[in-house]
Parts: sequence; C-alpha cells; structure tokens
Amino acid sequence: MNKYLRLGCAAFVMALAAGPAQADFKPTRPLEIVVHGGPGSGNDLLARAITAMADQAHLSPVRMQVVNKPGGGSTNASSYLVSKKGDVNTIGIFTSVWIIDPLLQPEATTRLTDLTPIARLIFEPALVTVRADSPFHSVDDFIAAAKEKPGGLKQSGGNASSRENILRQQLMSATGTRWTFVSFPSGGERLAALLGGHVDLMILDPSEATELIRAGKIRVLAQIGDERLPDFADIPTLAEAGYKVKTFSQTRGIVGPPNMPAEAVAYYDGLVAKLTETPAWAKYVRENQFVSAPTKSDETGKFVISYEDQIRTLLKEAGMKVER
Amino acid sequence: MEALSGLAHGFGVALQPANILWCFVGCFLGTVIGILPGLGPAATIALLLPLTFSMDPTGGIIMLAGIYYGAKYGGSTTSILLNMPGEASSVVSCLDGYQMARKGRAGAALGIAAIASFLAGTVGLLLLTFVAPPLANFALRFSSPEYFALMVMGLSLVVLLSGISIAKAVLSLVLGLWLSTIGIDLFTAQSRFVFGRSELLGGIEFMTVAIGLFAIAEILLNIASKEKSEMLEVPRGLRNLMPSWAELKACRFAFVNGSITGFIIGLLPGAGATIASFVAYGIEKAVSKHPERFGHGAPEGLAAPEGANNADTGGALLPLLTFGIPSGSSTAILLSALILWGVRPGPLMIQESPDVFWGLVASLYIGNVVLLIMNLPMVGVFAQILRVPIHILHPTILCVAVAGAYGAAGNLFDIGLLLGFGLLGFLLSKASFPTAPLILGFVLGEPMERAIRQSLAMSDGDPSILFSRPISAFLLAVAVMILISPLWRKFRALRSEAVA
Repeated sequence: MNKYLRLGCAAFVMALAAGPAQADFKPTRPLEIVVHGGPGSGNDLLARAITAMADQAHLSPVRMQVVNKPGGGSTNASSYLVSKKGDVNTIGIFTSVWIIDPLLQPEATTRLTDLTPIARLIFEPALVTVRADSPFHSVDDFIAAAKEKPGGLKQSGGNASSRENILRQQLMSATGTRWTFVSFPSGGERLAALLGGHVDLMILDPSEATELIRAGKIRVLAQIGDERLPDFADIPTLAEAGYKVKTFSQTRGIVGPPNMPAEAVAYYDGLVAKLTETPAWAKYVRENQFVSAPTKSDETGKFVISYEDQIRTLLKEAGMKVER
Repeated sequence: MEALSGLAHGFGVALQPANILWCFVGCFLGTVIGILPGLGPAATIALLLPLTFSMDPTGGIIMLAGIYYGAKYGGSTTSILLNMPGEASSVVSCLDGYQMARKGRAGAALGIAAIASFLAGTVGLLLLTFVAPPLANFALRFSSPEYFALMVMGLSLVVLLSGISIAKAVLSLVLGLWLSTIGIDLFTAQSRFVFGRSELLGGIEFMTVAIGLFAIAEILLNIASKEKSEMLEVPRGLRNLMPSWAELKACRFAFVNGSITGFIIGLLPGAGATIASFVAYGIEKAVSKHPERFGHGAPEGLAAPEGANNADTGGALLPLLTFGIPSGSSTAILLSALILWGVRPGPLMIQESPDVFWGLVASLYIGNVVLLIMNLPMVGVFAQILRVPIHILHPTILCVAVAGAYGAAGNLFDIGLLLGFGLLGFLLSKASFPTAPLILGFVLGEPMERAIRQSLAMSDGDPSILFSRPISAFLLAVAVMILISPLWRKFRALRSEAVA
C-alpha cells in the first residue's frame, strides 16, 4: 500500500515538475542505456549504478538494461545511437571522449551535438600528486625544478588528448617550462610508474588514490576543480595555488538518439531530476569523489556546444590536428 | 609467522558454510564461462556485480574471484577439444593440447591441464601468502625499459615456434606485429591503418584474431581436406581418459616452470596471463630434450602454459590487494567491487580488513581444490564431445564463435573480421606458414611498442636506458640466448656426430 502511495506521489510530482506534455509519454519497452566501454569500465559502472538506484527508488516503470558498445573509442556507441534515430527507449551515457574522438579522428563522424542532449550528471575533479619521498611539496616546487632542468622531469598519464596532457601543455606555456609526458594505457600502470619512482608527477582521479594517500605512499600538491573536495579540504585548488590555467572538467551525462521526441526528452528530464535527489545518488557521488552537476535538457544542449568549443580550443593549443 | 596466523584466520572465515557455497558458485560459473568463448570473466563479474551489493563483502569477493580464476580452468577445455580457445589466456594451450586430442589423448590432455592448473595455482598462492611484501616492491621496480626487454624476450620465442622455415615464422610474426598497431595511437591520439572504418579505431579484439585463426581455420581446413569424414579418436576406458605415468613424468619440469613464470609475470601490471603462458611455453621448449615433439602433442607443451595461466592469479592479486593496482580488466572490476563494499585495497588492507583479505586468500586455496574435484570427473564427459559427428560439431562451433564475436559489441563488422581471420588462417596453413607466431606478434606488439616509446620519452631519446638497467639487461641477455639456442643445438648435434 505504502509503496503504491509513494509511486503515485512520485508520478504526481513528476507531472508537476515537467508540465503537462510529459504525461503523454511513458516508456513501454525495457530502457536501453548505451555505454561505450566494456563491462567494468567507468561508464559501465556509472550506468549500472544508475539502474540499481532507479530500481531501488522505483523510478522507472520499465526495466533498465545496460548495453555495452565498446570498440572504435566512443564511435561504436555513438553510431548505435544514430541508428536508433527517433527512438524513445534508448539513451546513452556520454563522456568528454565523445567530444574528443570526432574532433581528432576523421573516421569518427558522429559529434555529440548530432545527438539529443538530455542531462549532464557529474564533473570529475582530479588531484596533482607526487610520491611520498619526492622533494616537491607544492606545485611551485615542481615548476621551479622544471625550470632548472628543462625536459628532465616526467609526468605519467593517458594519451595525448587526455586531460592531464592538456593541463600539462597549459601549465608549461603559462610558466615557460618544459617536462616530459609518458603515456600509459591503464590507470594502474600510470600509478605503478609513480609509486616505483619512474616518473615525478601524476594527475589522477581521487577515487583511485585515496588509500595510497591515507597510507602515506603518495602526496597531493593541488586539486583540479572549481571548489575543494570535502575529503581534501586542506589541499589548494590549482587556481588557489596561483596557476589560473584553462582546463576542461571531465564530465559524464546522458544523451538520446537524434530527433528524440520532446515528450520523451521531458520524461527523461524528470527521471534524472528525481534520481539526482535520492540519498543513494548523494552517497554514490561522495564515495567516488565526483561533483554532482545535473542540468535540464535545454541547459545540457547549450553546455554541450560550449564544451565542444572549449575542448577544440584546448586541443589546438596543445598542438593537435583538429578535424572538425 | 604472521602470514601463518593470518591464513589460519582466513580459513576460519572461508570455511563458513555460506562462504564455501559462494566459492563453489563462483568456481562453477567461472568454469562455464571459461568454456564459452564469447563471455569473458571480466564481463561476467561486471554483470553479476549488482547482485552482490547486498551480500557480505567477504562472500561477494570470494564468489567474484572464483569466476576470475575458474574461467582460467575452463578456458583450456575447448582449446584442447576443439582448437577454440575459451579465453585469451588459453590460446597457447591450443598448440599442443589440440594435437594431443587429435592423437586420441583428449582425456589425458584435459587431465594434465587440470593437474597443472591445480599445482601451479597452489604454488602461486603459497608465494602470494608467504613472500608477498618484497615481491610487491620488486614489481614496482619494473618500468618501461624492463617491459621492453620482457617483450623482446617474448618475441625471440618465435625461433622456437617456427616449424621448418624460420623465414615463414618471422613473416607471420611481422604480420601479427602490424595488426597490433591498428587503431588510435596511444601517444599521439592519431589513428593508424583504420582504412576509414570507425570500427577499427579501438583496434582489433584479441579473441577475434585467435578464434578466427584457430577454430574457424580448422573448420575450413577440414572442409577442404580430401577425407571429409575425419573424426577425432574418442578415448574409451578409464585408462585412456587419464594421463599416463610417462606423460606426467614428462611434465615434471613444466609444473615448476609454469608456477614460477606465471607468478612472476602475473606480478607485473603491464603483462598478463596470455604473455605468461607464451613465455612458459617458450622456456619449456627451449630447455626440452625433445623440442621436435612440441606442436605435435607434447604433454609438457600443454602443462607449462596451462600452469602459468593459473599461477598468474596469485601474482596478479598482489599489486591489486597491496597497492590497489589492477593488472587487467577482471582485476579492475574486482577492485571496483571491493570499493563499492567499502573495502579499500591498499597498503593498509591487511590490517584494516583482515577478514576480507585473509578470507579471500584462504578461499583461493579452497577454490583450487574445488576446481580440481569439479574438473577431473568431467574429463570423461567433455571428451565425449568428440563423439559428435563433424557435420554437427563444426556448424555448432561456427555458431558459438560467431555469436561470441557479435555478442561482445553487437557489431556485424566483427563477424566479418572473425571470418576474415578464419580465411587468413586457412590460407596461411595451406602455404605452410605457422599461425602461432602471428598470435605472438599480435599479443606482444602493442606493449612492446608502447614500452620502447615510454622508455625513450623517459631518457629524452637516449637508447642506452634499454640495456643499462640490471633487470632489462638480464632479460635481453636471455632473449639473445633463446635466439641462438637453435644454432647451439645444431652445433652440439654436429659435434656429437663428429665424435661418433
């Protein structure tokens, strides 16, 4: 009885929130959530967490299932969404890679702006770290040492278009210094290179490092984000440390296939609004050291366009060949 | 002694009835998905992850870990019987395992695989339990120059994988190396050799190459052969289902080699079980008194890679539990599972979550026994698969392989790729090019290229970094020894002839 009452209330609130248009639409088939990574990848885990939270809070009248479309970077997943043009039972989880791939790869023809924007969900902050026995206790120390021997210091990270490399390029041109970037495909290898003393600096996700920080194996010099994370309240942001460089925030959000009808978009707007207000969401965001940043579909559309511009400029400044 | 009391505590946890049950469930699921080529352990663990949220963390991790190492046991079954590797790490088991089956020793091959897995898996665990901390630090000393040397050593194995012609083996290797460069380059984020196909941006899946070259090519070869009704000999009677004493004796060194090689390579986050099994196979052949038997059903050629594949588990868990560094996709998901339960792997895990840590380690010992008990009696049942007539068996293999290739990403392009590699394997065999070097090149190409470019970035372009460090110098010396080993053999043969 109680459950039905709550469901009824939820439906009522939902109807109020999004206006009369959305009462017209309710998914009737199982909802497909498309992710570009295989099972266990960052996006896959986010999608599975969302289905579990929606399930627990009885937010969806239909079953939600995660569909993995790995391969071709993000392109296999975005092409799949394009093939579902106008469909109302399919959504996808996008990340910054969905913008970067079409900007750099001539073969990746689907841009994020070609799809229907629904919501932005989170920003992912990052930490600038060194090994515990490193002589560097602040970003200033590191920059000063880099000035002394140009090209002698090393930073581990992902590929050339990754956020950590773009940030490095920005920092180097702002301070007139130079240090080396060593690419590793997996986070584990980047971390092993830092812990083994083979590189001097690493920019990493807070969730992969909390234990090593707590055990005193690595030290945090600064955090990258607009505000300090609650768990790292005594660590300055890069701007507070005196480095006001341009960077882009790693983000994740939800898109629909091209030409998704307005009433379906309104329905998913309501679903996201309810999801991001649950206590389970707050707990999930806190545990993974994310910043919750939900937007409505119209704002998301504007965000995606300005975000693409921002990334394009940064990639160009980092000396990369931009295709679109 | 601390380890001993910890382990005793762990057995107290792992032997609780519920945890034994979860261990059994995990091992069983792992064996099943190990047999099926489409669904890997990483995908299965991720799919079952939400179901374990409400479980006790110890029971949950025991079950998920069971899937991880259970799949390694199961993967060899189809390698041996059908030349179709169930998992990436079971590819090397095809080389001699399938040849044993063709000679009517399918039962013995399955038995040897199970025994090697059990012995090496257990040795790997003993090393994990008793010599863990110094080894974890050893793994961190391994950096890009050392990885480069390891991959060069791996590539030098090509001289041992070649049949009659070294030139053909090297050509096949180069083709594999080239295939591994397809996709977005890690360092420049530019695409290479994708021929305008966005499907190729992420590179080619290893399993597509392996199943195409082995299983599909085998079917094509059978269709093309004159005696179409060729059927494998089905072992009958208990004696023919079990490995003979002579076969087990031939594997004595392989058990030790597989255990040590598998564990050490397992420790390294940038290597993995497939590379471990290749290296163990190469070492086995390099030191063998009868290298000519390899590739024609040598039991030690099956026992070494199969053992290495399972000893790898103990090695891979060490960086995961002590530093929170996963060494592959399966361990990455185990890591996220632990974090979801609020258990944080890292330097403090042994002190802060002893139940989970020692419970998991103890459950691995139990799991190894469970797998042995589960697999040995099944040998007779699995061997009966060979009774199925070829005209039913081969279409079934084709269906399973195609479904597996399609299921991974739901992309028709991948099926085309799978069949393309089948055709390639067929043509290579017809022209008597060995296919194992191609697989070797494909597995090692990407990590080797990456390691040399990382090393040169670290040294600012100075190549001396590759051989001036002790571990990499040692590994490169081993590579040179492997490269000249065929010459040495010839030299000795000539000398003994001269003496006689």
